[in-house]
Amino acid sequence: MRIGPIDVEFLLAIMPILLKGALMTIELTVLAIFFGTIIGLFVALMKISRFKLLTVFGGIYTWVIRGIPLLVQLFILYYGLAQYFDIQLSPKAAAVLGLSICGGAYIAEIFRAGIQSIDKGQMEAALSLGMSYTQAMRRVILPQAYRRLLPPMGNEFIALMKDTSLVSVITMVELMRSGILLNSTYIRSMEIYLTVGIIYLIMTTFFIYIINLIEKRLSISDAS
Amino acid sequence: MIVAEHINKYYGKLHVLKDVSLTVARGEVVVIIGPSGSGKSTFLRCLNYLETIDDGYITMEGQPIGKKKLSDGRLVDDSRKNIYRLRSRIGMVFQRFNLFPHQTALQNVMEGPLTVTKIPVAEAKARSLALLAKVGLADKADAYPVQLSGGQQQRVAIARALAMQPQVMLFDEPTSALDPELVGEVLEVIKDLAREGMTMVVVTHEMGFAREVADRVIFMNDGCILEEARPQEIFTNPAHPRTKEFLSKIL
Ligand SMILES: Nc1ncnc2c1ncn2[C@@H]1O[C@H](COP(=O)(O)OP(=O)(O)OP(=O)(O)O)[C@@H](O)[C@H]1O
Ligand SMILES: [Mg+2]
Repeated sequence: MRIGPIDVEFLLAIMPILLKGALMTIELTVLAIFFGTIIGLFVALMKISRFKLLTVFGGIYTWVIRGIPLLVQLFILYYGLAQYFDIQLSPKAAAVLGLSICGGAYIAEIFRAGIQSIDKGQMEAALSLGMSYTQAMRRVILPQAYRRLLPPMGNEFIALMKDTSLVSVITMVELMRSGILLNSTYIRSMEIYLTVGIIYLIMTTFFIYIINLIEKRLSISDAS
Repeated sequence: MIVAEHINKYYGKLHVLKDVSLTVARGEVVVIIGPSGSGKSTFLRCLNYLETIDDGYITMEGQPIGKKKLSDGRLVDDSRKNIYRLRSRIGMVFQRFNLFPHQTALQNVMEGPLTVTKIPVAEAKARSLALLAKVGLADKADAYPVQLSGGQQQRVAIARALAMQPQVMLFDEPTSALDPELVGEVLEVIKDLAREGMTMVVVTHEMGFAREVADRVIFMNDGCILEEARPQEIFTNPAHPRTKEFLSKIL
């Protein structure tokens, strides 16, 4: 059956494989956000720490990771480690690792900017009550910072979701690679890649919708 | 109560505190006046170790602040923990209030007792409500800082500092950021504290207030204490020409 130029039957035939790929894309995104956020928080705290060594380490991390294309990083993790240290990561391990490390560097910058945007008087007021640095961060600085973090974090999460398509090159079967594999069988590039694109679009749109929802929730409960 | 001896502090090459010494007795109210940039805030911040000092030493009730005496008499940097404990016994009120904007007035006041002293919630709440009543804001307990006027915010900030039951209160120009008609209500609260015998160091430009409550007035200029005297003396007959010049400009 065809509707105009669209071969509905063909689309229905490839859809289960693409949807399975899309599920893997979502899984990779969620894992990358989870680990990337943890890495990002630690690197951000390093970068604003009063210990010079930590500051330098945090600085090098974000400099190197943000300065090298994710694609190259993935090749190094997947093929490079295998050559030099005999560490053969599974495609999924390399994918999650690479995406988290990379996402972590960008998220660290978002955290750092958010934390540093909080007036210095807040930290001083907290310290003058006798709080430790950690208590002041946890009770005073971070609760104020996270409201400002949400919009840039949302952007970063969406970027991460799209970046998961890069892991197709290290044979990780997610949405993009499912498309590539299907195309090598059917050689119907337009229909396959257009469908892949539309599935990405639906997922990112849904993602944006959720983030907006959370933002609205926060601004309602936030009387200040 | 507090003894500061020969304090020197530098910001890079800038010598901000030059051999400053000051003793504050228990129950005494010391007012510090002086032109902008003379180091008043810096000195106050050194007293609770928000700033480190490069030379000299400060003690509170005989205990060195930020330093620890070893058995052989040498002074070394104190542990973080001791510095935190010490700060909790020194209340500080800032020019720009610095209330925590994500918390209500009550939560602001409870924050110290709950997080630092870790007393039970009910006790912290009772203490905080009593303090809010004391500064005349019992009805604003659930208001957020943005919903309060500057004068009200500063009174909450005073209550927040008092909630830690400090032995000394430091005020850094507590009324400088306020509209003129709101200055009085904050000064009243501070005067009450003075009457109750709270030990206080107050940086201010409110000369009427200084005259009324200060036991001693310190004039700081260019990182030095130029003059210290009882308020009557310093206001009517300043010893130093620089003091005279400053007072003539501000009175
Ligand atoms: N963090 C800092 N880094 C470098 N210089 C500083 C810093 N803080 C203060 N200074 C400088 O130290 C000097 C003393 O500043 P301080 O804030 O103690 O003065 P002040 O007497 O409180 O003035 P004001 O009446 O304006 O509050 C000023 O020259 C100021 O520019
Ligand atoms: Mg000042």
